[in-house]
Amino acid sequence: MTSYRLDSGGLVNRSYALTFSFDGKSFKGLDGDTVASALLANDQMLMGRSFKYHRPRGPVTAGSSEPNALVTIGSGARNEPNVRATVAELYAGLTAVSQNRWPSLSFDMGSVNSLLSPLLGAGFYYKTFMWPAKFWEWVYEPVIRRAAGLGKMVMEADPDRYEKSWAHCDLLVVGAGPAGLMAALTAARSGVRVILADEGFRFGGSLLSENLNIGGVSAADYATGLIAELASLPNVTLMPRTTVFGWYDDMVFGAVERVQKHVASPSPDLAVERLWRIVAKRAILASGAEERPLVFGGNDKPGVMTAGAVRTYLNRYSVAVGSKVAVFTNGGSGYRTAADLAARGVEIAAIVDARAASEDVVPAGVRVIRNGAVVATKGRKRIDGLVVERAGFQEEISCDALAMAGGWSPIVHLMCQRGQKPVWSEEKQAFMAPDVGSAFVAAGSAAGTDTVSAALRDGAAKASAFARDLGFAAYEANIPDVEGEYDASFAPLWYVPGAKDKAFVDFQNDVHVSDLGIAQREAFRHIEHTKRYTTAGMATDQGKLGNVNTIGIVAGMRGVSPAEIGTTTFRPFYTPVSFGALAGASRGEHAAPTRTSPLHGWAKKNGATFVEAGLWYRSSWFPKEGEKTWRDSVDREVRNVRENAGLCDVSTLGKIEIFGANAGEFLDRIYSNGFLKLPVGKARYGLMLREDGMVFDDGTTSRLGPNHYVLTTTTAYATEVMTHLEFASQTLWPDLDVCFTSVSDQWAQMSLAGPKARAIMSRIVEDDISDAAFPFLAARTVTLRGGLAARLFRISFSGELAYELAVPAGYGEAVADAIMEAGREDGICAYGVEALNVLRVEKGFVTHSEIDGRATADDLGYGKMMGMNKPDFIGKHLSTRFGLTAADRLQLVGLKPIEADKEFKAGAHLLKENAAPSMASDQGFVSSVCYSPTLGHYIGLAMLKSGRERIGERIIVWDGLRNSEVPAEVCAPVFVDPGNTKLNV
Amino acid sequence: MASLISCPHCGTRPKEEFSIRGAVVARPQPGAKEDAWYRYVFIRDNPKGRYQEYWHHAAGCRRFLVVDRDNLTHEVFAVTDATEFAKNAEVAR
Amino acid sequence: MALTLLHRHVLDDHISGFETNANPNHLSVFRRPVIFSVLAKVGQERAVGAALEAAADIAVRTCAPGEWLAVSQTSGSETVAGQLSAIVDASSVDQSDGKVLLTVSGPSVRKILAKCVAVDLHPDAFADGHSTNMLIGHVTGNLARTGADRFEIIVPRSFAGSVFEELMEMGREFALTAAFAGD
Repeated sequence: MTSYRLDSGGLVNRSYALTFSFDGKSFKGLDGDTVASALLANDQMLMGRSFKYHRPRGPVTAGSSEPNALVTIGSGARNEPNVRATVAELYAGLTAVSQNRWPSLSFDMGSVNSLLSPLLGAGFYYKTFMWPAKFWEWVYEPVIRRAAGLGKMVMEADPDRYEKSWAHCDLLVVGAGPAGLMAALTAARSGVRVILADEGFRFGGSLLSENLNIGGVSAADYATGLIAELASLPNVTLMPRTTVFGWYDDMVFGAVERVQKHVASPSPDLAVERLWRIVAKRAILASGAEERPLVFGGNDKPGVMTAGAVRTYLNRYSVAVGSKVAVFTNGGSGYRTAADLAARGVEIAAIVDARAASEDVVPAGVRVIRNGAVVATKGRKRIDGLVVERAGFQEEISCDALAMAGGWSPIVHLMCQRGQKPVWSEEKQAFMAPDVGSAFVAAGSAAGTDTVSAALRDGAAKASAFARDLGFAAYEANIPDVEGEYDASFAPLWYVPGAKDKAFVDFQNDVHVSDLGIAQREAFRHIEHTKRYTTAGMATDQGKLGNVNTIGIVAGMRGVSPAEIGTTTFRPFYTPVSFGALAGASRGEHAAPTRTSPLHGWAKKNGATFVEAGLWYRSSWFPKEGEKTWRDSVDREVRNVRENAGLCDVSTLGKIEIFGANAGEFLDRIYSNGFLKLPVGKARYGLMLREDGMVFDDGTTSRLGPNHYVLTTTTAYATEVMTHLEFASQTLWPDLDVCFTSVSDQWAQMSLAGPKARAIMSRIVEDDISDAAFPFLAARTVTLRGGLAARLFRISFSGELAYELAVPAGYGEAVADAIMEAGREDGICAYGVEALNVLRVEKGFVTHSEIDGRATADDLGYGKMMGMNKPDFIGKHLSTRFGLTAADRLQLVGLKPIEADKEFKAGAHLLKENAAPSMASDQGFVSSVCYSPTLGHYIGLAMLKSGRERIGERIIVWDGLRNSEVPAEVCAPVFVDPGNTKLNV
Repeated sequence: MASLISCPHCGTRPKEEFSIRGAVVARPQPGAKEDAWYRYVFIRDNPKGRYQEYWHHAAGCRRFLVVDRDNLTHEVFAVTDATEFAKNAEVAR
Repeated sequence: MALTLLHRHVLDDHISGFETNANPNHLSVFRRPVIFSVLAKVGQERAVGAALEAAADIAVRTCAPGEWLAVSQTSGSETVAGQLSAIVDASSVDQSDGKVLLTVSGPSVRKILAKCVAVDLHPDAFADGHSTNMLIGHVTGNLARTGADRFEIIVPRSFAGSVFEELMEMGREFALTAAFAGD
């Protein structure tokens, strides 16, 4: 194996060799290498296969726009496909594998696609494989999927940690090349809070790649000096390995920091990637410029790369990309590459210049072919020669690498992500950054500067303007002289016509010039259509390298300026971002917060099975030994409440404390029923409507003092009701003297229900709670034995004698324990939300199964709760509108199966007897169903057309999902104790 | 990724802290005709461009704010407390 | 029969009590702070706010215009209730059991909190004594700066476990430790 590593120079640490593997073979690289530079140093030019034709490919760049050198890095669950070898930082033990080839990179069966290429042109999958239609799913698609594509995903869970963080600054500088470094330093010296981010693992940008002398030192050393000063300033945050991938509303930038992508075994205490949201008052885009490839036949072969990339490999990594390098150029960059290579002793095969003349310095002894063009390349896995054409004559030149210089395109993506399009400049022959307002500007070569000294000056000038703008004293930067600059200007050459082999425009998607021609001929002319039809500019690189050439070539075909063609739409992300980073820490137990009740510990002690209800964990039922199914437990709990007593956690109900002289008036307008006359010490069931007349929520509200109430909501609607009250008080009636706050978390609330509830509660509460002293709907502050103040409400959701006791949350578990102890002799049990549900269905109480946003108060049988004499309440005015008072509205009824052993399920629909089972004969639906242990059969609540008139009717419960029909009898919705004899004792 | 709204009470906050509650429409007087109520509840202009919406600062001060913004460009012209906004509107009337 | 009732802190299940010594970056949970919600009558926000600021041994946390949390680590609940009921046009309600108060402090505190809150905590933007409601992780809470490298967080009790675990996760990188204050 030939070593292409030069003996000296470069920014690699020669005393620190790193062993890594590529396709199972061991290689040695150096600290400071990328995977690509280390492979090139080891004569491994072939790094991948192309997407469609499986053509052998090597790197074409030395940066993040790389379309070809995509590899899979890592193994097992850490397997990461489509990593650009040109930016992947080398570390000891790294394993890289090439992609899209079988069985091996050098012998790839898929390359037969090249022979089929006449079939695989632009739009091939729209035209081919159309018949027979069935073959698409079974034959064509699987074959194409196997043949085409990039890396493969692993199905194992990602073992690594990710996180998100916010950052705030006065000035964000994107890119730490000459313009970015100077901008950051100039602003920082003024005292501006600066964040400087760069996608690379080493700051410096082109200063690391160019052979220049700045202020008497090398460009790289000059960069080191700037970085050292930046690092010493407290108002500067340096973010290497951080790609700013998006610009969002209100000057928020998205960035991803690769915290531990360059280590073999990431620390479990650190995220591997961190997603940043950077809020910046001002921003400077110093992302540099992209060198355009030239488009000629065989321009995709391994060994053909941009002239700037050749210089980067040479000057930064000390790797010569070949031993005899040819140059094809339309500007100064090619000559500079030849000069740098020649200076390091690399033979230059020739410089092929598309222009007739130029003033560029030609290295001694190097042949220049002016007015020339490369029309073909020789070799397969690495080029071994070129065919150059000049004035109609062709000549073969041997070489083992080709540097191509096609001019420069400023990297302006970020500034175009919020709708503005880049602007074509005839002078620069490039798309320039649009004007996006005064807070975000481009600087340096991203703004079209041609030299490093101009970039340094531009960065400094734009930073000091921002500093002044932000109220800081401007600092005038001292820009040293730069020696050894070259003329980066170029003459456009969009493509070399007459190629026999394919001339690629988009390497990653295998789009060549003739594909663009097909798109034009077949009327996919708009650049967005051309993109979709040919796939130029799609996939992981989104055409960073090829798009401008695509536009130039299409413009040429159409005989118009590239300005008229315009660009496709720029969107985040600039480079691919992992799903891990986007999810951050929000996965597993951190995906959503969980809420636990103050009685959670009590429920656990009593063996509860928990259910997730929204964010809450609620106790669902409490299995006892010997109980085989959940129903066994629930039936027992229900029976026990009806016969003895049970304790249930109702802490999750929303509780809102309301104060103010107009609090009663406020409630009177919030609820459909009256609240003005609610006495102190009393609770009242209330119904809230939406403004459209539908029921919104229900609950009890108690008056604790003349101007003091506590309102309860359902668990599910706690937040919505709070918001509703805020809307009403802030926007509808801001003049009412009312204020309120949520106290939902302050109170542990438990319901003690059953015939023995009073006896048990009396052992806990000091106050007299006899029926006379504490009747139904009493609501007062009481004192527990031992002195703790609590709130006691005599309300019932089961039809039994019941109390709700609220105690400060921290005492909840202890009080619940005490009640269980006090009730032991009376056979108390803990009951969960399943039994709670059975108890309320038996009693015909509604929940959000019935209050589903379509039911009016009257539908639910609460017509009497519409205080139509009140001048105003929310929902009053539209409650009588057309349709809401129709006779055939769905009304709440009860259902019981005709045959007692039959079961039906909620969600089933109701049909008249003998009606066809279809929605055309729909009579309503079943809202709640349970097995009633009290009655010994299933019961249900349903919403039925004109239901109240149909008590006693036989009806069919039709479950279309389970294909069952169960005859049932319509009955009143109250199944147990309709006379409330158990309540008022 | 993010949008920021400057709450007059809490300062600049990400959109995640807010809940958008629809167009700012004045509630009719209790005695208004059904048609007025119908328009209030159901009819919205849904313009493209400048729009005044209620944004509830749910994870902050829990105040209803009137955000006056362009729903195409997300340019925000003003953020006002809804109570204040209603008072100003009354004065203007 | 007099009941002997044990008061439990919701984070008892999350903090073992066997932590080693506090690291430089540390999270402290306060067992029984006194916390009241204070609400001003409409139009009297300024006067109530001023009276609240003047109250002895009470730290005032701003929630909204006309709404505060009155926090005391030194006074008892009755004392604070008495002080608050003396403020004209103010209503107050005890939230000591409904809120969990913790502090995070140390040299990396801002880096830890930047992973949880979107608000700029640079001292120029968020000065000592400043407090406001905000999203902390997934949960709405009140955050106050109580020192150069010290912040106080008050969150609803039912969410406290999640918030605590989230803070500890975000602090892992900086070896954040946690304990009940005074334990």
